[in-house]
Amino acid sequence: MDDATYLLHRLGTSIIVLLGVSVVTYGLLFLTPGDPAEVILTQQLDRQPSASEVESFRATHGMDDPVPVQYVSWVTDVLRGDLGTSYYSDTAVSTLIVDALPLTIELAVASLLVALAIAIPTGVLSAVHRGSAIDYASQLGALVGVSMPNFWLGYLLILVFALTLGSLPVAGAGSYGQLVLPAITLGTGMAAVLTRLIRSSMLEVLDEAYVDTARSKGLRERIVLYKHALRNALVPVVTILGVQLGSLLNGAVVVEIVFQRPGLGMLLVDAVFERNYPVVQGITLVTAGIFVGTNVLVDLSYRYLDPRVELGGETV
Amino acid sequence: MQQPRKTASESTHSTPAFDTDDSNHTACTAESTTDLLTVEGLRVQFPSPDEPVRAVDGVSFGIADGEIVGLVGESGCGKSVTARSIIGLDPPEAAVRGSIELDGTDVTAASERQLRRLRGDTVSMVFQNSMETLNPVLDIGEQIAESTKVHDHPDSQRLLDYLHAPLFSSRADWHERREHAAELLDQVGIASPEERVDDYPHELSGGQIQRVAIALALASDPDLLIADEPTTAVDATTQAQLLDRFRHLNDTRGMALLLITHDLSVVAELCDRVVVMYAGQVVETGPAGRVLRDPSHPYTRALLNCLPQRVDRNERLPTIEGAVPDPTDDRSGCPFAPRCERATDDCRHGDVPTIDLGDGRGTATCYDVDDSRPAAPYNRPGITVTAGEDESDPTREPTTAAETPAAETPSSESTARSSTREKTRPESTADGDRQPLVELEGVTKRYATANGLIDRLFGATATRRAVADVDLEIRAGETLGLVGETGCGKTTLAELVTGLETPTAGEIRFGGDPVGGVESRSAETLADVGVVFQNPRSSLNPRLTVEQLVAEPLRSRGWSTGRRRERVRTVLDRVGLSEHRARSYPHELSGGQVQRVAIARAIAPDPTLIVLDEPVSALDVSVQARILNLLSELQAEFGLTYLLISHDLAVVEHVVDRVAVMSRGELVEIGPVDRVFDQPTHPYTKTLLASIPSLSPEETTGVRPSASDGVSSSLDRPTR
Ligand code: SF4
Repeated sequence: MDDATYLLHRLGTSIIVLLGVSVVTYGLLFLTPGDPAEVILTQQLDRQPSASEVESFRATHGMDDPVPVQYVSWVTDVLRGDLGTSYYSDTAVSTLIVDALPLTIELAVASLLVALAIAIPTGVLSAVHRGSAIDYASQLGALVGVSMPNFWLGYLLILVFALTLGSLPVAGAGSYGQLVLPAITLGTGMAAVLTRLIRSSMLEVLDEAYVDTARSKGLRERIVLYKHALRNALVPVVTILGVQLGSLLNGAVVVEIVFQRPGLGMLLVDAVFERNYPVVQGITLVTAGIFVGTNVLVDLSYRYLDPRVELGGETV
Repeated sequence: MQQPRKTASESTHSTPAFDTDDSNHTACTAESTTDLLTVEGLRVQFPSPDEPVRAVDGVSFGIADGEIVGLVGESGCGKSVTARSIIGLDPPEAAVRGSIELDGTDVTAASERQLRRLRGDTVSMVFQNSMETLNPVLDIGEQIAESTKVHDHPDSQRLLDYLHAPLFSSRADWHERREHAAELLDQVGIASPEERVDDYPHELSGGQIQRVAIALALASDPDLLIADEPTTAVDATTQAQLLDRFRHLNDTRGMALLLITHDLSVVAELCDRVVVMYAGQVVETGPAGRVLRDPSHPYTRALLNCLPQRVDRNERLPTIEGAVPDPTDDRSGCPFAPRCERATDDCRHGDVPTIDLGDGRGTATCYDVDDSRPAAPYNRPGITVTAGEDESDPTREPTTAAETPAAETPSSESTARSSTREKTRPESTADGDRQPLVELEGVTKRYATANGLIDRLFGATATRRAVADVDLEIRAGETLGLVGETGCGKTTLAELVTGLETPTAGEIRFGGDPVGGVESRSAETLADVGVVFQNPRSSLNPRLTVEQLVAEPLRSRGWSTGRRRERVRTVLDRVGLSEHRARSYPHELSGGQVQRVAIARAIAPDPTLIVLDEPVSALDVSVQARILNLLSELQAEFGLTYLLISHDLAVVEHVVDRVAVMSRGELVEIGPVDRVFDQPTHPYTKTLLASIPSLSPEETTGVRPSASDGVSSSLDRPTR
């Protein structure tokens, strides 16, 4: 498959995925018990709303139409670039997202870097010294890392670094200092998963004949490992990385709340509790879009990593 | 960088220094100061659950500057392990003892830094299975450029530089090295090298890969090149070119070569000296000519016996009974004793002495070296070895002596090749009477090569002709050989006959009736054709037992369970696999046994035609001999017709009745094998025949016609 066909193909499937996601979230929201208009007004007015108040709220927000009709008009709006407005403020949903998104992306990228910085050397060392103390220690570390819930690690870090040592800011966003603890919190779990993957993938690659060829040239072991072996070992790792992005976004929600970062996650959680449906739907759609998009990037990066891969096809 | 480090005059082709008079165990490791490599008392053991595996068990030999030494023996005898030890690549769990002095440094005790210097400067290695020895994610130019860089700066290797990180690495330097890589590719005979440097290993053909692997090893301008089976996987013409290249480098740069091979004709072609290994030990050493002409050790003799070149056509090839001893066995005495016809009680205990044969003729580790034995020309080893007193030896194949009366032994120096000419086969006169079993008429096969979107949109129909307008008949009961270099279309032709491919044009007839591909063939037609592939290990499902593998084609043809079981038992017995092997899995079997399973599977449905695609090319000579014997027995017994594809022309000459020569998809010549091999009419056939290495070193002139001279420029064409 050549590049153009491949991209067209991916674009087509992405649209179907996004439509599916929006249908499901839309459906789920309207299946939750209770009249959303009533719940929202109760919160806003801090008292039981009158029947006429509910009536007029429903009318202004188009809630009187049957759900499929509402959905269609929402999709039409989205296609025009309008994600609707928040039920609470009159801010456009797109504005809310644009404000919050950079913080989340910043966090995700930083955690990914943290994860790779930990996982690559640990995984490689672990594979090279298979069965040694280093290997067992790193495997134990990985196990702990995988099993530790994000929020728990987050509070632990706050306790140690911010409250006890007073060395790093606990909450908020904006400075790099404020990024450190959240990135470590989110990156650790991912690092644990990646370490295991890199270890097993490296173990396989280290048995390959070309590794010996590289050694027989007189290359330093470090170059043999990190140039010849690692590059091959990363091919399967990248596949998993694409899938892991989903859990990274999940984790970001929790971590943002723990560290009070006004990112997409916090926006989403607030919106869910307030039944701020347009915001929830907007965020879901954007996140799904990011997920689909990064997976295309992952696919494309294969070809850089492994020249035998043809786009959309099997390894030759 | 390409300046010769040594001049040709310094190279010492004949090295009497090695054949000194001391007849102790290390007779061949003379303490000569000119030695480039001295291996002494090398032992390599691998841990295993019970006894350690003695892969190398006390090996001593040396290589002088500019010498070409062949290391021969069957697989599993420790050749490759020895080679890897020389370059310091033993696996970490291996226990290595003894010493390996390379250019004044003991490899077994060298530091990482010393090893890097040795590898970058003094020694290079071409590994077996070169397809797997190139890194699949780095292009060819990069892999070669690295080698030259290490060679120039062995001690300042920075990771970021090698990763091409901007600021840390010089683009100009790497670029220059890539250009130099193209030169190196050119030197090993790769066409349009400037384009090939950008290719990745999977984009090249097998022959090209082999050349690249050699270019990679030569990039560091080594004093010693270790080549592990460098020509086993390539066709005859490529092999001739590569051997030529080695000889040239040896002449001009004085590069020493340690050639590991099981192909004795390659040794005859190239080597000054031979080291024969058996079960982890050196059993014989000596000048190549002497060892091949007049082997002293029973093992060397037996090995030479198995070669099809040395035996008349249609005669059973002598074989070596038994198998290489289990390397975990506790060893005392001669390792060859269980298979040796001349073994006495002495042989089974204690150390066997290494005898110096005198007159620079080398050494042999054997009690039975009889110096009074006349050093007569050794043309018919099949007889000479076993003549007389051993007639009743139960370990010997009785047929060998029975079928080869001594009177037929030519006493001249002539090689087997010319001696076979004297014997005309009765069948060949009757060839015309045989009924054609399969007929191909104007058969052409094209493959589409355009696959891009744009190509398809514009309806481009680029095609490649794999087989072009071939007329051919395979006669009932004959063995038809199909030869030609890699990519000439012989495999495609075989696939057309078996129905795995359907012809683009033309017609294939079985017994007069036209047939199509597998889908359109009747059950009988399908059952009529069996196939044995080159690499049985990869063509047989590893998850099935031997029994299941053989029964599989029967089940798909609807045989009942009882009938199946009966048949499986019969054919397994017929191919010489014992009852208890029936429940084994392929990985538990040796190469020869797996090939027997593949043969059993092919003959199980009782076919009339069997397509043999390189059936013995992956096997050791002694195993090869047994399989070839088996195939001819089966043919006689069941009246089978064979279509044999092989690049080993010695094998072809030994077994086929008629031979068809293919080049670039066309059938260029066909005829009785005697006629084609003696009086080839087509120039391509002549070139092909000229590339067969001869077994007698005296005939080697050092100047042989290269296949690239005029006839075919398609040698480096990728097969895809
Ligand atoms: S020492 Fe004895 S058993 Fe060994 S090869 Fe010589 S004769 Fe045969």
